[in-house]
Amino acid sequence: MGRKRTRWAILFLLPYGILFSVFVVAPMLYGLFISLHKWYILAPHPTFVGFRNYSAILGDDLFRAAFWQTAYFVALVVPTGNALSMLFAIGLNQNYRGTTVYKVAYYLPVVMSVSVVAILWRWLYSAEFGLLNYYLGESGRTLHRLAPGVVGGAWKIPWLTNSRSAMPAIALLSIWWGAGGTMLVYLAGLKNIPRELLEAAEIDGASPFRRFWCVTWPLLRPTTLFCLVMSVIASSQVFGQTYILTGGGPHFSTLTVILYMYQQGFGLYQLGYAAAVGYVLFAAVLAFTILQFRLLQVRQ
Amino acid sequence: MIRRRRKPLRISGIAAQCAMILAALVMLAPIVWMISTSLKPEGTVLSAQPHWIPRPFTLDSFTGLFTQTQDFPVVRWLLNSLFVSLSVTVLVLFVTSTAAYAFARLEFKGRELLFMVVVATMIIPSQVTLIPVFLIVQKLGWFNTYFGLIVPCLAGAFGVFLLRQFFLSIPVELEEAAHVDGAGPLTIYWRVVVPLAKPALATLAIFTFIGSWNDFVWPLIITNDVSMRTLPIGIMIFQGRYTLEYGLTMAAAVVCTLPVIAAFLIFQKRITEGIATTGIKQ
Repeated sequence: MGRKRTRWAILFLLPYGILFSVFVVAPMLYGLFISLHKWYILAPHPTFVGFRNYSAILGDDLFRAAFWQTAYFVALVVPTGNALSMLFAIGLNQNYRGTTVYKVAYYLPVVMSVSVVAILWRWLYSAEFGLLNYYLGESGRTLHRLAPGVVGGAWKIPWLTNSRSAMPAIALLSIWWGAGGTMLVYLAGLKNIPRELLEAAEIDGASPFRRFWCVTWPLLRPTTLFCLVMSVIASSQVFGQTYILTGGGPHFSTLTVILYMYQQGFGLYQLGYAAAVGYVLFAAVLAFTILQFRLLQVRQ
Repeated sequence: MIRRRRKPLRISGIAAQCAMILAALVMLAPIVWMISTSLKPEGTVLSAQPHWIPRPFTLDSFTGLFTQTQDFPVVRWLLNSLFVSLSVTVLVLFVTSTAAYAFARLEFKGRELLFMVVVATMIIPSQVTLIPVFLIVQKLGWFNTYFGLIVPCLAGAFGVFLLRQFFLSIPVELEEAAHVDGAGPLTIYWRVVVPLAKPALATLAIFTFIGSWNDFVWPLIITNDVSMRTLPIGIMIFQGRYTLEYGLTMAAAVVCTLPVIAAFLIFQKRITEGIATTGIKQ
């Protein structure tokens, strides 16, 4: 009986088991092996170089630039995006009339492909005919009319073509794209907070702000931690937006780690080096995740 | 059931609702602008003042998109995307549900440990192993093939995790009754568990379909033949050529978005609740 059941279990596990072994487990080990080689795709044999790829990465100025640009992107996207998601979720949790419509509106960008999002925002960011610069210019002119001495004329931002504004522009569209997904997780967290607690606080005369700060915020903490961790992991992998919109430019100002890995691996065919870049990023993100848990976990 | 009490109208409530409407308009504006641009004659797209309502209204951009077939086989990309996404969805449902059933109901040595290992891999971003997966798929001879586009996308652990949790919530008595009636595990799985798990399977199906349809990195590296591209890659190539024809590129973006938006609006409830119960975004 027992052996028969085991045989059934193996049969049920077989299809997924093969896929999992070949495309999840094997790549993790194989990737480490590759990263220890000079693995030029056109050369007949990879040569073993030990940890030299890793030491080269640590001394690579471009990698360092990509690393800090990625950190900058994460810093721009994660706090703002999470604050926005939480605000949306709090609004939805009030159960006003039309909540489903709001929910759909906030979530809709999430179901779009990164290439659609990038192509669409390139149009919005167009310097001369883009929607953003048009309304920016209009607000500038209106302000100028109201207070002529304070602000000068029409405003215009060279969104993606200036090395100072390019990364914030990429961050802005990424926040728009992703806020709805995190919002739903916050909403689920908010729904788990017992209504009685908030009602009791209300009866005791606590203001909405105090109710949020003293009841909702502490009870939402596990959700917040989860969302922050997931957002950091996801946003540190940013690739499509910069690949399509800027290719890492201008002046490497939007070169991110995965984009650099792609360029090394599929542009220069340095697969060993590129694999090592992936692991270095993974190690950095893992370390940061552990740090987040240490700092933010609910102390008991 | 959650009791919904209509709250008394307050100034703060009205202000909050105004803010929510404004936020909804801002979030929707880019999508509306995309659709609006795609319906304008190319000559009126670039204008100093934005017109939200296309006048005159035309489908020229869409017909243009589908007739420029020499360099840009848009129809082929569309069919590729449909074929790949539907195949991935059906196959994911099959392989993850059988594995999840084994993890939930069939006893074997090391079951919990193995399940932990599978779930633990969910935290590893797919980009980290992009290069080794690419080399493995290339060694299998699947570069530029549908196999290459489909098979590596079946190994994600999310479905196994989701379905196992759901299977555990099904009362075991039903399966025991079927077992007493002489049914084997295969019959129980197919005749008892799968029908009961339809809601969870539908949730997984819709997530998988949207995720596969939108996938960008993997189809980008595993194909280089223009006829093997999927729609998201295709429209990126397309807009590289027609940089300033925003009517055309927005039409391409709309074509690439409509299927997922339709799927989302039809299954809206299932998607938003699916995320709420699993806590995992696509």
